[in-house]
Amino acid sequence: MGASTYAASLPFKSVALDGLSAIYHGASGATHVVAEPVPQILEALGGDTLTLAELLARLGADYDLDDDAEAGLSARLDELVALGLVIAR
Amino acid sequence: MFDEDSENEVSGAATDAGRRALMLGAVGASAVLTVRPALAQSAVSVLNCQIPVPDPARAGQYIAADGTVVAPGTVGAFVPAPRPFTGQEVKQALSGLNLPGTSYTQNQAYLNYIRRLQYGQSGFTCFASLQMPGR
Repeated sequence: MGASTYAASLPFKSVALDGLSAIYHGASGATHVVAEPVPQILEALGGDTLTLAELLARLGADYDLDDDAEAGLSARLDELVALGLVIAR
Repeated sequence: MFDEDSENEVSGAATDAGRRALMLGAVGASAVLTVRPALAQSAVSVLNCQIPVPDPARAGQYIAADGTVVAPGTVGAFVPAPRPFTGQEVKQALSGLNLPGTSYTQNQAYLNYIRRLQYGQSGFTCFASLQMPGR
């Protein structure tokens, strides 16, 4: 919360697992098994540093988003920051 | 599998007809499970980790030749090590060098103690890390 930009914590490797994804995070050595929309958020971030609005626009270009998308995305990003997969600046 | 620039994940989704809904606001479990290797944190510091002989819970007790911890003054046993050994020192000792400041038999006793370390004892994680391939 309060961060202005977000970037994925690289490197990571994501493997799809029957509806879930296993993400190996190189910096921590941890493996996270995650559900949608986490892989999609990380893919949208790619190697870039984006604001919440920019990230939302990228996702919106590829997906139909629900009504509370901005609040939802913000909450998901907070979770990903807590996991270490996303760096907030 | 995808990599960052891959279109795989969204193939078909970019076309108007194939756009797919993405639920960003779904409550709860975006992170289902995290697996953290117990020894991952020790990987970078394994050679600087420390193994006290004996562990602090048994400070002052002697080390018998077979590595067991015995009462102070026991004949044939060795005084406690004056300082903890580092992972690097133990690694070298396992390949034939003596632990610093020890005689041959004292070194053997200390190494026997270290080999008998169990989970929960001070130095166990350090010793276990030394056993991992590539260390």
